[in-house]
Amino acid sequence: MAAEPFARLADRQHALRTALRALQAAGPGSPDFPSLLADTGKEVEAVLQARHDVEAARLTIPNRAIAAGTAIAALVVVIGWFDGWSLLSVLLAVAVAAAVLVDPTGHGIWEPRARTAAIAAAGLAVLLTPLAHGWAALAVVAGVAWWAWRIR
Amino acid sequence: MKNIDPVKALDDKVERLKKDLKSLGDRIDNAQTDAAQNKLSTTNQIRDTTRKIAKTNDRVTELADSVHRLERLLVALNRKVRAGETRKADFDNWPEIGKPLIARILAGQEAYARRTFTPQEAKTRRKAISEYDRLAHEAIDAAEALTTLPPNAEALWRKKYKQWQAIAGKQRPEAPDEDEHAKDTAVKSAGNEAIAEARELIRTRIEDAVANDLLFPAWFENMLGPAAPPGKADDWLYTATDVVLYRLLHDVTSPANALGRAPQEQGHRRTLHDRLIVECADYRKP
Repeated sequence: MAAEPFARLADRQHALRTALRALQAAGPGSPDFPSLLADTGKEVEAVLQARHDVEAARLTIPNRAIAAGTAIAALVVVIGWFDGWSLLSVLLAVAVAAAVLVDPTGHGIWEPRARTAAIAAAGLAVLLTPLAHGWAALAVVAGVAWWAWRIR
Repeated sequence: MKNIDPVKALDDKVERLKKDLKSLGDRIDNAQTDAAQNKLSTTNQIRDTTRKIAKTNDRVTELADSVHRLERLLVALNRKVRAGETRKADFDNWPEIGKPLIARILAGQEAYARRTFTPQEAKTRRKAISEYDRLAHEAIDAAEALTTLPPNAEALWRKKYKQWQAIAGKQRPEAPDEDEHAKDTAVKSAGNEAIAEARELIRTRIEDAVANDLLFPAWFENMLGPAAPPGKADDWLYTATDVVLYRLLHDVTSPANALGRAPQEQGHRRTLHDRLIVECADYRKP
């Protein structure tokens, strides 16, 4: 199961190499360069998609785990260090955790790792909340911003 | 002889004055009579004139009616003549002006419309091409790298993918043609010769049609009127030739509308179309 995305990535990389050979042989001045370029472009997209699948397979469980941990930590922090101002960061972190629990990897080509970063930031924010109170929300926001920038 | 009796002298004077008064009265009477007569004759004259004008009015109305009748008669006659055996001029089929000739004319017009590269533009264009080629090589190298990268080196993947995207979807600029200018000149002069040739043929046929009193096609008459306006035969023939040439060049086959639908885009065709519209409107004026 785990080998399958890897095999597909290797496959796609091989196909891309073949397309690149043809593109290099044609050279930029040749008349069929644009069509070859478009074909190679498709191959590149396919390789990146295959890599996304590999990343997704690798990061699904860690992302879910961090998200679950963040949710539990949030519960603990809310109960143990209850404070109206702290609710802000905790609730934001819980929202991010819920999104990552539902779909741990996303569809964008850079999204698996972006989600890891976002959920890690959310977890950190929850852990910081007893110290920083509502200000920890900035960490969540930074993580979400990073995520949004990566899938842009 | 002077009167010595003063009474008598006065009497005389009175007598004289009386006579003067009488003659004055007479003159006033005469003048009055004259004036009355004059007035009467003027009134009569005015009445006369009014009557005449009224009569003329009636005649004009009558004339207008008959002109209208004549017009209708002419239309009917025209229709009958067209339906009948009268020989018609054929300005729609031009076997002597073949496709190659038309193609040459169109190529010439295109050459005139094409803008040529200045040396500076050619230089910038060449620079852009070499820039594109450099980018293409970089992109190909980057894509090459993508085929060997391990899947978790995300920063490298992003970098190489970005390099690849710098080229994807971009067109290589068209290379400036070195002898484009010379080629264009040749095409232009060939087009000019072809136009002169076609014009000559068309003009000959129109002149023949005029000489033999042939019936013009409906679109021709709609556009250029029934005949050349007096004193402007040469200009009229020139315009007529251009109208026929326009139909030939741009494949207009409408039986009623000589120039077909007006072209939307700017260019040689639009200019010619507008010019012909203006000139022909001039010839149709009564």
